[in-house]
Amino acid sequence: MNTLANSAAVAPPGRVQMLRKRYFPTPLQGLVSVVSAGLLALILWKLLNWAFLSAVFGADGSAADCRAAGGACWSVIANRWRIIFFGLYPYAEQWRSALACVAVVAMIVLSCIPSFWRPWRLAAVWIVGTAIYYILMKGGVLGLRYVGEEQWGGLALTLFIFVATCLIGFPLSIVLALLRRSNLPVISRGTGLLIDAVRSLPLLAILFAFAVVVPFMLPGWLQTGKLYRVVFGAGLFFAAYQAEIIRGGLQGVPRGQEEAAMALGIGYWHRVGKILLPQAMRNALPATINQFVIGFKETSLVIVVGFFEILASGNAAYGTGEWTFAYREVYAFIALIYFVFTYSLSRYGAYLERRMAISSR
Amino acid sequence: MADTHPTNVPAVQINGMNKFYGHFHALKNIHLTVHRGEKVVVCGPSGSGKSTMIRCINRLEEHNSGQITVLGTELNDDVASIDGIRREVGMVFQHFNLFPHMTVLENCVLAPMLVRKTPRAQAEAAAMRYLEKVRIPEQALKYPGQLSGGQQQRVAIARSLCMEPEILLFDEPTSALDPEMISEVLDVMVHLASEGRTMICVTHEMGFARRVADRVIFMDAGEIVEEADPETFFQSPSSDRTKQFLSQVLGH
Amino acid sequence: MIRILRHQKVRNILLQALFVAVVLVVVVGGWRNAQQALSSQNVVSGFGFLQKSTGWDVNFSLLPASPNDPYWWFFVIGIVNTLFLGTLGLVLATLIGGLVGIARTSSNELLQLLGRLYVDFFRNIPLILQVFFWYALVTNLPSPRNAIDFGPLVLSNRGVYMPALNVGGWHVFAAAVAALAALALPLWLRTTRRLATPPEQRGALVWRVLAGGLLLAAAILLLGRTPGSPLIDAPLLQGLNLRGGLRVSPEFSALLVAIGIYGGAYIGEIVRGGFKAVGKGQTEAAHSLGLSPWQTFSRIRLPLALRAMLPILANQYIWLIKATTLGIAVGFTDFFMIVAVTINQSGQTLEAIGILMAGFLAINLSIAAIFNRINRAIALKGNQLRS
Repeated sequence: MNTLANSAAVAPPGRVQMLRKRYFPTPLQGLVSVVSAGLLALILWKLLNWAFLSAVFGADGSAADCRAAGGACWSVIANRWRIIFFGLYPYAEQWRSALACVAVVAMIVLSCIPSFWRPWRLAAVWIVGTAIYYILMKGGVLGLRYVGEEQWGGLALTLFIFVATCLIGFPLSIVLALLRRSNLPVISRGTGLLIDAVRSLPLLAILFAFAVVVPFMLPGWLQTGKLYRVVFGAGLFFAAYQAEIIRGGLQGVPRGQEEAAMALGIGYWHRVGKILLPQAMRNALPATINQFVIGFKETSLVIVVGFFEILASGNAAYGTGEWTFAYREVYAFIALIYFVFTYSLSRYGAYLERRMAISSR
Repeated sequence: MADTHPTNVPAVQINGMNKFYGHFHALKNIHLTVHRGEKVVVCGPSGSGKSTMIRCINRLEEHNSGQITVLGTELNDDVASIDGIRREVGMVFQHFNLFPHMTVLENCVLAPMLVRKTPRAQAEAAAMRYLEKVRIPEQALKYPGQLSGGQQQRVAIARSLCMEPEILLFDEPTSALDPEMISEVLDVMVHLASEGRTMICVTHEMGFARRVADRVIFMDAGEIVEEADPETFFQSPSSDRTKQFLSQVLGH
Repeated sequence: MIRILRHQKVRNILLQALFVAVVLVVVVGGWRNAQQALSSQNVVSGFGFLQKSTGWDVNFSLLPASPNDPYWWFFVIGIVNTLFLGTLGLVLATLIGGLVGIARTSSNELLQLLGRLYVDFFRNIPLILQVFFWYALVTNLPSPRNAIDFGPLVLSNRGVYMPALNVGGWHVFAAAVAALAALALPLWLRTTRRLATPPEQRGALVWRVLAGGLLLAAAILLLGRTPGSPLIDAPLLQGLNLRGGLRVSPEFSALLVAIGIYGGAYIGEIVRGGFKAVGKGQTEAAHSLGLSPWQTFSRIRLPLALRAMLPILANQYIWLIKATTLGIAVGFTDFFMIVAVTINQSGQTLEAIGILMAGFLAINLSIAAIFNRINRAIALKGNQLRS
């Protein structure tokens, strides 16, 4: 032990020594390294073998081929991708559904660019993006054939639910956060009660209530399609969580900021809009992005109240006829789609957090 | 703006004002009249209520009883009168309270544009003028976080000047500064004092009080204990509490 | 008139009155509409339906259940099922989360990588998708005839079979309580100040309590044993089905595995965050005092990290309990599914939703209360954590 330390002090440590110090500092650590490396290799090999080496690709692969191969059967995706992406949307019109998805993804990417972080620009991007989606999907104008909401499905419906949830939930969360921090006791307590009540319930229960119970409670002139009610419920749930995040952000703004604005004679709405919210949103940004990630994952719950979103269409993709054995491939494919969305969003959030940590120094 | 108010009314008149925080009696029966163009320095030990008193003048704190009249308008629950008074009363804070997400220039033009509806070009020209007055025009496009404390406080002074207020309140403007930056802020304040604006300063800078104050007010435990011109105040204070305070701040 | 609207206090009162009015219009309006709509469907409002028998059955229950039982009993069954699944899920998630968290904070980079892969993979896929996957996996297992023997476990598409004790349900429950008390009491005895003897001299007492409790548990099990049968009952193939042993249904196992794995990923991150919150200075101070790595971990870093992670952990536990509502997706009769079926079958919409809200509120509040107690008990005086 001593000689090793001495030689390391004299000569700069070589490559082997560096590796040794990194992975084999003690016998126990060495064992841990070996076991971990073995486990990693095993997982990697199994995955590689299953997904690529022994897999059957292409639309021509039949169920029988797949059973023989022993690996993943990607033929099910090649044959059924349309139902996973577009659900029951009319076959001839599915290009519209695809374009609508592209529009939504472009809108989400645009709103991640800091130069778009002005209230009006963000609002414009989201309203235009959603309008394009809506016109493309629903049709009935511009010579597009009318397609009712009950025929929407797959990834396109999942994206719609996410976007609509955000469009309702985000502005609502700001309103709730402002009401919550009002200095009028009735308003702040009442809003606090509402937020806590919504947060204490499972989202599934809220979706169920909006799908099944709320129609009884609405007067005739407010009756809308089930999709919009459920989206509103999801938006309310999102808003209750996001409102607490924004409230945290507002609490992070020093009291002096509002006082300075008051002393300059700036009125309530300008104080909120120009001084408090910009700073609060900056404080709350990492948690907000995390909330969007959660919101995206939770769109999958609408399957329970009977919507044909991507998970339901995935069940349908393998659930019929010859492909009933291929559930792994279909779920892996859908998981991959979710993973791409949520992982890139959360990495982006982590990047923003690092960037802000540096700039605040 | 000065012409809109009759010149014969005092800038600030406080009559029998009381202020409570719960059961704590923070300000006790305050009477104070500040004339237009007068420079008043308020001093006293910490917790004596000096900050609370000037924060009542632009209603950052609400008084519980008594009367406050600013430029002839009584400060009461009428929202319009509060807005009107805040437009005419500027304030400089201990911790500067610059808006960190805006550049220095944006900090300065915000209120004139929102409150007075001044066009941007005009507001920016005025802002540059005041930034020159506080000797900091070259920093106009920087963010507050990039400036030193003294520079930030000078920007804060320029920001309140941009509203062209009739009255300026200073709430311990140098207490949060490093020693070497205090003088650059005091220089600007002395310069301002020569311009005829009404100024009420809460500060521990006795040198500043001696040089510019028309009147010095000493507060202790929520009361105005002594009120005199600087000469009398520093040479022959009448109250024991004042004497004790002065010996503490000037003692060494 | 307009002048009075400029008055601040008048304005405040009017604004609050407006707020109350809007809330009242929404609540009362909604309530009245619902009353009318339901009465036109011949649904009698009120909680009288709780006494009626349901006419449908549940597929999983720890308590005796039959279609003749009244609604209120089914709600109790639902809550017990939810708590049962939730508690096991929490335990599993906490075990996995602890391991993952330790892997992620270990000094070994390969182990760190493993932990990170685990968290990134399972956290970014919706829980319901994972539930569906595990459910499909279990239901696609071979039939009992070709069941897979996995040590003492037998896996088949009828569920997971494991060896069971030939002991009545209530005796198992009582024994579990005794065993838990035997484990928990010594912890309390070692720290409490309410006894006359100082904590250092209680060694013998602690051991006696531990041994006594465990013996008591064993005695209860033996007493409750079904006469004339072996104590341990292993699953065996008889005809086309497996007999004996404890069968865990595909629904329950899928939910439990999914919640444990998904929750483990989140709890792993919380554990990592807790350790990150412990300042480097603490570890350095411990090392410089000559404490061994294990002592540093168990006496310094772990206690401080636990305090930092508790509040977040409480929220995560509440979230995981709420996640049991996914039972409805695969047909496990948790509390939420009972409520949903009740609404479907009896039409008592508002009442059932009210019961659902009250139930979850009670569960959330109890978890929050337990954690608050723990938090208070171990809180440091002043704010010493970050320094």
